[in-house]
Amino acid sequence: MSGDANGHDVVVSVQHLTVRAPQRTILDDVSLDFAASSLTAVVGPSGCGKTTFVRSLNRMVELTPGLEVDGAVVYLGQDIYDPRVNPVMVRRRIGMVFQRPTVFPTSIFENAAFGLRLIGEEISEIEREVEEALLRAGLWEEVKDDLDRPALSLSGGQQQRLCIARALATQPRVLLLDEPTSALDPAATQRVEATMQRLKEDYVLVLVTHNVAQAARVSDRIAVLHAGHLIEVGPTAEVLERPRNPLTAEFITGRFS
Amino acid sequence: MASAFVFRRAETAEELLFDRSLRTRWRLGLDRALGWLLPLLFLVAIVPILDLVYYIASHALPTLTWTVLTSTNPYDPDALGVPILSTAAIMALAIAVAVGLGLFGGVATAEFLPERSAGWVRTTANMLVGTPSVVLGYFGYFLLVITFGWGLSFLAGAVTLAFFMTPYIFRVVDLAYSSIPRPIREAAYGSGARPYQYVLRVAAPIAFPQILNGVFLALAIGVGETAPIVLTTTQSVIFPPTVFSPVTFLTGTIWENFSQPAGSPALALAFQAALLLMIVVVGLNILVRVISARYQKRLEGLYQ
Ligand SMILES: Nc1ncnc2c1ncn2[C@@H]1O[C@H](COP(=O)(O)OP(=O)(O)O)[C@@H](O)[C@H]1O
Ligand SMILES: [Mg+2]
Repeated sequence: MSGDANGHDVVVSVQHLTVRAPQRTILDDVSLDFAASSLTAVVGPSGCGKTTFVRSLNRMVELTPGLEVDGAVVYLGQDIYDPRVNPVMVRRRIGMVFQRPTVFPTSIFENAAFGLRLIGEEISEIEREVEEALLRAGLWEEVKDDLDRPALSLSGGQQQRLCIARALATQPRVLLLDEPTSALDPAATQRVEATMQRLKEDYVLVLVTHNVAQAARVSDRIAVLHAGHLIEVGPTAEVLERPRNPLTAEFITGRFS
Repeated sequence: MASAFVFRRAETAEELLFDRSLRTRWRLGLDRALGWLLPLLFLVAIVPILDLVYYIASHALPTLTWTVLTSTNPYDPDALGVPILSTAAIMALAIAVAVGLGLFGGVATAEFLPERSAGWVRTTANMLVGTPSVVLGYFGYFLLVITFGWGLSFLAGAVTLAFFMTPYIFRVVDLAYSSIPRPIREAAYGSGARPYQYVLRVAAPIAFPQILNGVFLALAIGVGETAPIVLTTTQSVIFPPTVFSPVTFLTGTIWENFSQPAGSPALALAFQAALLLMIVVVGLNILVRVISARYQKRLEGLYQ
């Protein structure tokens, strides 16, 4: 099944993506387009392949030995799995935020500046872009007076927004979020969700979540994975109110009631 | 109708909450017994050690003077100045080589080699750690002294000692890099770090204290080694003028002087060298403890 992006500018186009582990197929022939200024929620039961899916969008899958990727992920017209493409450059354009906050044991500033240091930006430039990224991540007001504090001293929710800032600092167009609130309390979850809603104006957001309610709150489109297959994709309200696939209905109601 | 929740009989809180099973009682008994046994075992272990320290100190201290430790006069056979300086020089070269090889091998194994080859490298390193040092000494003798024609020399001794210490350093480096929390590694690569940037900027500061520990441990083990040195160098009364000159190592001094007659200054020298080595080794071990403790604290937040 294929998802179209309703005529908007396609930024990322996933074409016949198949990911195999030695013993089994984790993703089977998934095709899906992502348009600019959109937030797509990827939902599905645990183990259906959501993490593997987003990790193949910036070649993070390759960090797991033994996984084999087939098909194409086309970013602005270029297949990122082309042998001439350097995965490092892909990950600088397509940022990622993980399930648990993964700050480095350095200062708040250095965490946000991490990607900029990697590309050898000048310090004045770094300071400007760090502020910009922290603003966008909705963390600036809370940390602007003590950027030199250890990042590990922040709360979980603040750490997660710092991770978002770190991913935004190198100015990617796409941000992948793999269950970014699953380790957070409701208040922190709410702040991260607010951040995501602001960001979707300017970025392509792909949000993996096992939480249908969260998808309902923040996404404009839902893609449902089931056992490695993309079984349904469409506008959020439509999928939630009139799911076409019975498995989708089962998943949604199982979560809601 | 009767309630569905009927207790078989009235049970007291004590019956419900106290665990009186045989296994638990046995375990509690064992706990208590070990509580007595362990201090006892500690005493059994510490007494011979204290006795040894006393034995060495009582032979070393009566004739120990500042001059003994510092004189480098080649006509003064009963001084340790030359062996001390020479040992420091050998250790410096050996640890530099061992750290270089160990870092390179350890990082490559932990971060870059495929699982299978990494396994082979680790097995080899473990085998080398288990190899008696005299075997490595002979290896150094045949390879460096004979085949390379370096002779019984400073260079042959230092490089052989480096062979001996490398697997220890390799193992801590490999372990330190392999145990970087996976989320940290993924976050680094996910932010677009090149492999060398991950290794140097993200992993190195986290791995550093552990590696430093390994370096001090390797120094402590290396400085007390005798076989690799006595087989690849020979005694000298002066600090080696070139790397191909013979050189005296502190353990070599002990080795040479231990069979001297009782009460002779030469025998006292062996004890003085032994005392010095003991202090250095204990000092290095204390340093390792201190660093470990600090390291634990620093990374507490990271491992959650
Ligand atoms: N490296 C791997 N080797 C083998 N199986 C894997 C590997 N990674 C993931 N899987 C399997 O693929 C399935 C999908 O995993 P994942 O993408 O993490 O699912 P989700 O994020 O939806 O819970 C799971 O059943 C998982 O066990
Ligand atoms: Mg997952």
